[in-house]
Amino acid sequence: MDFSVVLQFLISGVNLGCIYAALGLGFFIVYGVTRVLNLAQGEFVMLGGMLTVSFYAMGISLLPSILLAMIITALAGAVLYRFIIYPARNSSGVTQALLTVGFAFAIEGIALLVWGWEYQSLPNFLDSPNIQFWGATIFGQTPWVVGSTFFMVIGLFLFFGRTIQGKALRACADERLGAKTVGISTERMALFSFILAAILGAVVGAVITPLTMTSYSIGFPLTIKGLLAAFVGGITRVEGVILGGIALGMVEAITAGLMPSGYYGVIALGILIIVFLCRPRGLLSARGKV
Amino acid sequence: MKGNFFRLNSAANPEKERERDIMEQPILEIRDISVAFDGLVAVNRVSLSVRRGDIIAIVGPNGAGKTTLLKLITGLLPLFKGEIWFKQQRLDRIAPHRIASLGITQVFQDIQLFSNMSVIENVMVGCHVWTGADFLSTGLKLPWVRAEEGSILEAAMDKLSLVGLEQKAFAAPSSLSWGQQKLLGLARALAAGPELLLLDEPYGGLIADEMEKISQLILGLQCQGITVLIVEQLTGVVMSIANRVIVLNYGEKIAEGTPSEIQSNEQVIATYLGNGLAGK
Amino acid sequence: MSKILLSGHLQYFGVALFAIVLLILPLLAGPYPIAVLVDIGFYSIVTMGLIILMGFAGQISLGQAVFFGLGAYVSGILTTQYHLSPWLALVLAAIATGGIAAIIGRAMLRLRELIVAGVTLALNLVFYYLVTSLVDLTGGASGMTNIPRLSLDGFIPEYTLLNYYLVWIIAFLLLIFSLNLVNSRVGRALRSMNQLAGGSEETAQALGVNIMKYKVQVFALSAIYASIAGSIYAYYIGCIEPDTFGVQLSVRVVIMAIIGGMTSPWGAFLGAGSIVGLTELLREFMPVLIAGPTGAYELIAYGIILVMALLFLPQGLISICHRLVPQGGH
Repeated sequence: MDFSVVLQFLISGVNLGCIYAALGLGFFIVYGVTRVLNLAQGEFVMLGGMLTVSFYAMGISLLPSILLAMIITALAGAVLYRFIIYPARNSSGVTQALLTVGFAFAIEGIALLVWGWEYQSLPNFLDSPNIQFWGATIFGQTPWVVGSTFFMVIGLFLFFGRTIQGKALRACADERLGAKTVGISTERMALFSFILAAILGAVVGAVITPLTMTSYSIGFPLTIKGLLAAFVGGITRVEGVILGGIALGMVEAITAGLMPSGYYGVIALGILIIVFLCRPRGLLSARGKV
Repeated sequence: MKGNFFRLNSAANPEKERERDIMEQPILEIRDISVAFDGLVAVNRVSLSVRRGDIIAIVGPNGAGKTTLLKLITGLLPLFKGEIWFKQQRLDRIAPHRIASLGITQVFQDIQLFSNMSVIENVMVGCHVWTGADFLSTGLKLPWVRAEEGSILEAAMDKLSLVGLEQKAFAAPSSLSWGQQKLLGLARALAAGPELLLLDEPYGGLIADEMEKISQLILGLQCQGITVLIVEQLTGVVMSIANRVIVLNYGEKIAEGTPSEIQSNEQVIATYLGNGLAGK
Repeated sequence: MSKILLSGHLQYFGVALFAIVLLILPLLAGPYPIAVLVDIGFYSIVTMGLIILMGFAGQISLGQAVFFGLGAYVSGILTTQYHLSPWLALVLAAIATGGIAAIIGRAMLRLRELIVAGVTLALNLVFYYLVTSLVDLTGGASGMTNIPRLSLDGFIPEYTLLNYYLVWIIAFLLLIFSLNLVNSRVGRALRSMNQLAGGSEETAQALGVNIMKYKVQVFALSAIYASIAGSIYAYYIGCIEPDTFGVQLSVRVVIMAIIGGMTSPWGAFLGAGSIVGLTELLREFMPVLIAGPTGAYELIAYGIILVMALLFLPQGLISICHRLVPQGGH
């Protein structure tokens, strides 16, 4: 096999992998702290992209557009927690997951109302050009994708590891009752986790729009793929989520390259589902509770 | 000698002889079982032989492994070492629902009534083991299913009458008092027609009258040939009806014998630090 | 004893009344309401299967659209490419779908409830990819056309009316099947293992209920209900496309099950009727108030309804009915 072909697979795989890993991080943060499966995570991504496009189209330059988009999406995350999840905090996990689905539907509907059917796009950030690299093409936006995921991961590691708030979040995830006993407000932490996941999602949305375009309906497919990636890797550990994301990205890139067009979706998802069913705890799950 | 005597008399009837052999062999045999969770040994090399018609009391301090022992028998917990034999069949590899169909039923400490069904329906679930209607036949309501439902209802009412709850057949389980809930749990387990009944703290939270009723019911079961294993904290009450007592401590069997033997056993008294054994 | 019989008689009465209403309704209503009723019929069938799965057995499925779609596509393929009779194709599709569901159900046995929700959600996407990739078989993204219609030679001339009777007779039969099922040994076994509603898997097992077998079987049952509805839908519409069978449809039937009430098969009709009725209302009135694509209002409405129902009326509309009509142990 041609070296450049393999290289192209790798590059696409890393590209996709970073997207899914970042998505998975959003799930991880919410699930880790609140044990809620946020099936509206994809909608945060969608909002991030759509809002950035709108603000940019109004003439606001790129970075402020993204920041505005992040703020509004963060607000959506706060609404989700405060008015929808919090009232049901004593209900079963399934009920809470269904609540996030309801929220996702409403957001999708509002997006459709505001922006309509069409796909929207953005130019590559700073108009980065495509790079030819030993026979393979690196799309101009790819470094931004990889870079932002990289910084997200580093940022989260630092945050969870070094700051008081981060440690408090981890405490909530590991031992809720204990956290409450030492005075950590689990509700505050939960709210914070939703907001953080929303902001992460928004960044992902903004960053991928130049590559994949965005529209009101991209939410659920992204949610499903991100979820699968997170599960496969092991949703209880950051490394697991990242691994799962990269794995899905790689599998998708390789099957897309090898298969006649169309089948790759089934194969990619199918492979991951089968892997997951064989190891429901995830490839890298933490010992103990899932 | 005794065996020879019997054989002389029933030489002409090998069938009866087989039956007698079955009757004489222990109905339940626990051989040297051990189990550990997260590094903590819950049950350590416990052996027990239960004859048909016995009422066995399993006592011991909290955390001694009594409930674990019951769950090991019914298959709800997996066995690490040792064997459990029920009527000449090995139990430790069989799924819990199949163990129930072999003739063992358990009543839990917290009973776990089905709050989404009425009292009588709870008991009717007990009949599940000896009935066979499946999705298709019940959906189509075939005649034999109708007949089966009739006999389920009859058997369930019968058990409810036995425990004295027939008036409450259509009530919600949550409307029953704790004592009545215990009786319901018992009726539900009996509806399965078990040969071996495992009771986890049947006297817990009851007043004297209610305890007396439970005791009467258990003794009545013995008359019907049902073997009963009772795990209990309230050692005084249970020792009045048991014909054999096992004492567990830290997952190990520290004593076995008749109630009077146990009551005078110094090691057992030391374990309880003088509380609870004497009196009641 | 008499109370159970009374409740039984009440059910018989309800069923008889239902049958009468079904037969008479077309005489009173015009063609448009009948078309709406046909829609309600389809949804009721799928929702009924889901109610047995969620309300009685306590399992979750966010992927019923997949089985609906399987019923539609398999029937479509069998009739267009293999020229089988539509009725035979319907039965075969149901069997195939049930089998696939059984396999999936079996694979999901080890998973926790929440994860099952995620996996069934993922099934929607897998199905979409599957259908769009097997272009030769399914017509891909543009869909399959020329699916033959079910017909009873010349008996009822009007097409929508014919389908009305078709769908509702099947819904009626499935209702009776479901009612029989839930008031039986199997129904009690399912309820006993429903941890979400007051049952207990451990206790059920201790009483001889094989929970693994039942979980797989009830999942397959709900898939078969959806498949039957899907097959008839394919014959009714004549052409099907993958976009119809997506997450939206899966969630919509979940909403119907929750709204209608998961404690009784009757809830299927309440739920389907409410949601379809609401959708029709939205289509009529919303464009007047706020301009925009009609799909948007529905999405927003579904989302809000789902959230409201889960937060405030988790028992569904049928709990209101239960309060009006005293029930014995059911």
